[in-house]
Amino acid sequence: MKMSHYGTYWVSFFKGVILVLLILALTGCSIGGEKKIKLFQIEQPREKLDYPMPTALQLEELKWIIITSENADEVFAKLEAAGIDPVLFGITDKDFQVLARNFAQIRQKLQETNNLLEEYKKYYEDTGNSQ
Amino acid sequence: MIFAVILITGVAGAGIYVMKLRSDNAILKANQIKLETAVAEQTKVLEQQKEDFTAILESNKKLNVLINTFKKDLQDLDKRFTKKNRDIGKLAIERTESIERIINGGSKNAARCIELASGAEHTEAELKATLKSEINPECPSLANPNYVHYE
Repeated sequence: MKMSHYGTYWVSFFKGVILVLLILALTGCSIGGEKKIKLFQIEQPREKLDYPMPTALQLEELKWIIITSENADEVFAKLEAAGIDPVLFGITDKDFQVLARNFAQIRQKLQETNNLLEEYKKYYEDTGNSQ
Repeated sequence: MIFAVILITGVAGAGIYVMKLRSDNAILKANQIKLETAVAEQTKVLEQQKEDFTAILESNKKLNVLINTFKKDLQDLDKRFTKKNRDIGKLAIERTESIERIINGGSKNAARCIELASGAEHTEAELKATLKSEINPECPSLANPNYVHYE
């Protein structure tokens, strides 16, 4: 059976349409390929540990009373007159020196620790060595 | 015919060789860029390390100075108790009231030193003090930063 030129044209056209539809069905409209996944890294700086510096101490004043064998009666009488219990917690002159030294050492340790804290803060925050 | 085959093969070979050269060139360029970046990064790291070492040295120096000051402060404290064979016990018996006053003054000064060591702000008087009579003798290096020790 011989087809006309017009018939051949239409058959070719339908074949083309079927081919295109077949390709579309197979590729799922993804002609051109999948987009490539891009991986990238963003450096997130570490959060700062932003504690405020410790609050400074406010010490209360205390009064030392020197008591000797000679003024003891006078001192206790004064305490009683002022309505204070006539009792004293005493240390010797040598122990007083030890106490003074101990307090000086506590103060120095406090100063040293605070200084270290400041130096650490300066090093890790000012120079950006936060890792 | 043979001549034509040789000619075509030669041209194709030359073409492939040129392509290879271009590909090599591209790889070498990429390598060069990578090397330059690596060198720049290394230089940056070295500079940072240098800065860090300087900061650490400076910090160590500061802390050493501070520790030496502590030693001196303790020696000064001992000296105040034992200067010229001083016996604070005997002095307290002989001059009870004046020693009591001195002890209370010293105690107040020592308490102020602890406050300052814990981070308290200096008062204007403490900052301005340059004379022995104006300073806190318990911790002059801490309390009076503008005081220069003199005999």
